[in-house]
Amino acid sequence: MTAISHHISDETLQDYAAGTLNHELEVVIACHLTLCPACRSRSAMAEAFGGAELSGCTPSPTTTSAADLLNRLDDAADSYSTEPPESTKPVVSGDGINQVPMPLQRLLPTTLDKLEWKRLAPGIKQHNLSDRHRKEGAFKLLNLSPGVVLSKHTHHDRELTLVLQGSYQDEIGRFKAGDIADFGDDVMHQPVVDTDKPCIALIATMSPVRYSGMFGRIIQPFVGI
Amino acid sequence: MLNVKSPKTKQSADEKTDREHKLHLGRQLVAVGLHRDRQAFTEVYDYYAGRVKSFLLGKGMNEDTAEELMQEIMLIVWRRAESYDPSKAAASTWIFTIARNRRIDYLRGNSRIEVELDDELLESETPERDQAQLVLDAQNAKRLEQAIEALPIEQRQVLHLSYFRGKSHGAIAAWLDLPVGTVKSRIRLATQSVRAQLIDTDRDDIL
Ligand SMILES: [Zn+2]
Repeated sequence: MTAISHHISDETLQDYAAGTLNHELEVVIACHLTLCPACRSRSAMAEAFGGAELSGCTPSPTTTSAADLLNRLDDAADSYSTEPPESTKPVVSGDGINQVPMPLQRLLPTTLDKLEWKRLAPGIKQHNLSDRHRKEGAFKLLNLSPGVVLSKHTHHDRELTLVLQGSYQDEIGRFKAGDIADFGDDVMHQPVVDTDKPCIALIATMSPVRYSGMFGRIIQPFVGI
Repeated sequence: MLNVKSPKTKQSADEKTDREHKLHLGRQLVAVGLHRDRQAFTEVYDYYAGRVKSFLLGKGMNEDTAEELMQEIMLIVWRRAESYDPSKAAASTWIFTIARNRRIDYLRGNSRIEVELDDELLESETPERDQAQLVLDAQNAKRLEQAIEALPIEQRQVLHLSYFRGKSHGAIAAWLDLPVGTVKSRIRLATQSVRAQLIDTDRDDIL
């Protein structure tokens, strides 16, 4: 993995540490954290903020004592003595080599290279990861062919894009594998796939993307990079 | 509205005792993991159970549910204590993450998504420019708390709303009737100044 140059923002790491994001945004963040030790360290500090808030707060009265809890444990005997089973590993029908971090791989039916894509527009394919209505936000993989230029757009509310393969360039910079784009609605941008390889990216939003431009209005329901 | 303690209300002797007590609780948590030590667990419980309940109530949960979920969380603390590593996090942080995750399970019905430590893609090499790593172990927990207490009130308010009222930065902006950019910059300033203070304190120790 080449050095990562675009990271998760402080406010997104704080929301993640506080547990206020949805499942889809958590997947994108956990994938970037897998690839980025620098953000893992920042994330640990965001969690330590939570620990400090917890130990600094005023305790509420409780009706159960530690002895009550432990006695109940004894009564329940073995039912509490074992750990709950770890979530089962996904069965991947490919050659068994993960090309994407586990939080995403668990959601895919196969490896990334064997994935089925749905064509949306010339040079633009997607693999939807969500069964939600699009008004509730997007969660998908996008596969953009070399040379593809997306319409100029801003991101409404919350949107995260993690590049998995290839790269794209926009007004902000160049986004390569492992880079995450974490911007609010104050950034207008126009991504261009800038190598001869397709660019595959994971995208999650809290709400739909808004495009300007005609082409944008046509593909707006589907695309979100 | 906010339950923020003034940094000046405590005597330094009390603070030392408080710090000692929290370190002691961290050691007790280790003892629970090693020996299933019931007395040690009781001490951890007596300090954290009511705080975990406050955390749940602060996020809008009703009294009965909060009490029940608090008990589940403290049971997880009992059962998983052997996985607590005091060189990686303060006991308060470890318990906070358990409480946060259990609450998410309860409300959402699916688990919080995190890095999987056995992921073959897990990148462990830190780029050279990021080598000024923070040590957030049990020993440093009090420094972190002091650094947070020293933050301007508007930054502490944003932290409190985030971790204790369960509000995303967008929701905080709406609730405080502030532009989102203002909330973002408060979060960034708080993060940067706490980080800088922790790194400075580490340097003092070396000198
Ligand atoms: Zn990063």
